[in-house]
Amino acid sequence: MKKLWWLLAIILCLAVAGFVIFGFPQVQKHYAPPLPGKPARIVSLAPNLTEILFALELDEQIVAVSNDCDYPLKAAEKKKIGNFWQPNTEAILAAKPDLVVTLWFEQQKAVADSLKRLGYRILTLKIEKIDELLTAIQKIGTATDSNDKAGQLLKNINSQLNDLQLKLGSVNKVKVLWIVQAEPLRVAGRNTFINELIELAGGENAIGNTLQQYPSIGTEEILACGAETIIQSAMGKSDIAEQQKAAEKFWSKWEHLPAVKNNRIYVVQPDTVTRLGPRLCQGVELIAHCLHPDIYAQKQNAAQQVR
Amino acid sequence: MHRNKTPRNRLDKSMAEMLTSEKLAIRIVICLAVLVVVMALCTLTGKIHLPEGSRKISLEKVFAGPGQKPGENIDYEIFVGVRLPRVILAALVGAALACSGVILQAILRNPLADPYILGISSGAGLGVITAVISGITWSFWAGSPMAVFAFAGALGTVWLVWFIGRFTGKSQVTSLLLAGVVINAFFSAVIMFLTSIAKSDQLRLTIFWLMGNITEKSLSVLAVSAACILAGIFALFCISHRLNVLTLGQEEAKGLGVDTTRTRAAAFGFAAFITAVAVSLSGLVGFVGLIIPHGVRLIFGPDHRQLLPLSGIIGGIFLVIADTLARTVFGQEQLPVGVITAIAGGPFFLFLLAKYSRKVSWLK
Repeated sequence: MKKLWWLLAIILCLAVAGFVIFGFPQVQKHYAPPLPGKPARIVSLAPNLTEILFALELDEQIVAVSNDCDYPLKAAEKKKIGNFWQPNTEAILAAKPDLVVTLWFEQQKAVADSLKRLGYRILTLKIEKIDELLTAIQKIGTATDSNDKAGQLLKNINSQLNDLQLKLGSVNKVKVLWIVQAEPLRVAGRNTFINELIELAGGENAIGNTLQQYPSIGTEEILACGAETIIQSAMGKSDIAEQQKAAEKFWSKWEHLPAVKNNRIYVVQPDTVTRLGPRLCQGVELIAHCLHPDIYAQKQNAAQQVR
Repeated sequence: MHRNKTPRNRLDKSMAEMLTSEKLAIRIVICLAVLVVVMALCTLTGKIHLPEGSRKISLEKVFAGPGQKPGENIDYEIFVGVRLPRVILAALVGAALACSGVILQAILRNPLADPYILGISSGAGLGVITAVISGITWSFWAGSPMAVFAFAGALGTVWLVWFIGRFTGKSQVTSLLLAGVVINAFFSAVIMFLTSIAKSDQLRLTIFWLMGNITEKSLSVLAVSAACILAGIFALFCISHRLNVLTLGQEEAKGLGVDTTRTRAAAFGFAAFITAVAVSLSGLVGFVGLIIPHGVRLIFGPDHRQLLPLSGIIGGIFLVIADTLARTVFGQEQLPVGVITAIAGGPFFLFLLAKYSRKVSWLK
């Protein structure tokens, strides 16, 4: 009887092996490699990528975006293919893309890999610094055959950055504490793109060099940092005024901080400062309004800024 | 074989019947057939949301083949690229977890044992969060770094627990359980520490991974995992008759001539191996390893020669259905499969508990 079991087992193994070797459909070997050229249907898996694509005037070609893509307004009307965190592969396939633009982190890489196995053309970009953003714009321009528009966009961004440099290059640096999360308290460290935005806006991060990018800091650090301004990016886009009040209440216990004494606590619209995209310079201006209100005609509460 | 009493209830009857090889083979074949049918039905479930409108996946288009270029035959691509790998993976993971649950419940003689009890969950979690924080990006054998680290973490922890369990204490079962508890607590603390220093997106990645998800994997990964899991289950099947004796108790088993230490070590080793493979593929899918063995035991009886293969197959069926629900119940949104197993598992487990304890109290 035992021999019969062994026989059954061997037959089963051979069946499985046979299925795997001969039966399992191998899709990617069937297709010729994807042709370069202007893609007619583009799917974007991240909000900043969507903004870049729209800035390159590719609105007609974009067929689907991730759920959180909401700028420009036309993006919100496009077909959705799941979250930024969990793109729905089936929905991406159903959109019949010629090009899928993704970011470079694990979840999106896994989806990109399965699409690559099916023969689709994928462009993966790493955008964690301003230089990487500019390179990414160039790469997208090349992949979508819109090099001239990409060049134009880059020129615009660079000239805006230059203007900002002229305006804010020689001001006194204001010490900023940038709050990423209130409980537990987490701030943006020096090795982040937020830091780059702060420095472009004529500020200096109140936190020195840290091991982590977004360290959580304790009360001692807060008291010692001497921040002159506290900026917090809002959670979600609604009720910024309420979040402003809540933030002011939260910080009132550290009354000896210069920022709290002078009531320079700001809650800002998150899109332009947490998304590294073509609206980079708007983000820098937003921060500069908070840091150097005297340079701008009147002090504008960031919550009232019109998009 | 001659019975004095006519069997009055299911449990009595199953204890009185003899499990012959023919019966076992027939049951296995029938269950396998059900598995194949369920897998086939589940690959066809769920509408495709094309720009023209949503429709069901069409089988004739699938058989038509891939077409000339990507995008021509969406049905084929979705079937072969998304649904088939997912269904196969769900079946494999379900089988591995259910079998592992059976083995651990037998070794530890504890009805609440699940595949993660002896440190596998915290070991895998530690592996994952280490991989995520260290920012390692290379892929190893077509497995992502998180999968590899999870596998290594799970196996390493199991080895540690076994080592401590052997080292401390004569009564192996208790010392194993205690070693498992201590290691779990220690590693959970380390995970908490690493969590506190992780960036928010790294954290989200880890939590998402640990929740348990069935995703599309490449053919090579599926083939290697299938080989590992099926080999492990087969090895466990070969020693399953000894597990029947082991459940009587350490001394009784020794008295009946079963080498308890080696049997336990072998069973534990293989069970941990297949669980580590399953966890590295799909994260920590809960409840399958706990409820499927109990369900199968209720219906078919506690004989491990039967319990093991049938739990494996039924575990596969359960997870395939759970994953299909996770994929289709909310339209475009996808739930983690661990949510469905827990939501389905909870009430089902309570129902089983009520039914099982009623039966036990009958057998005065």
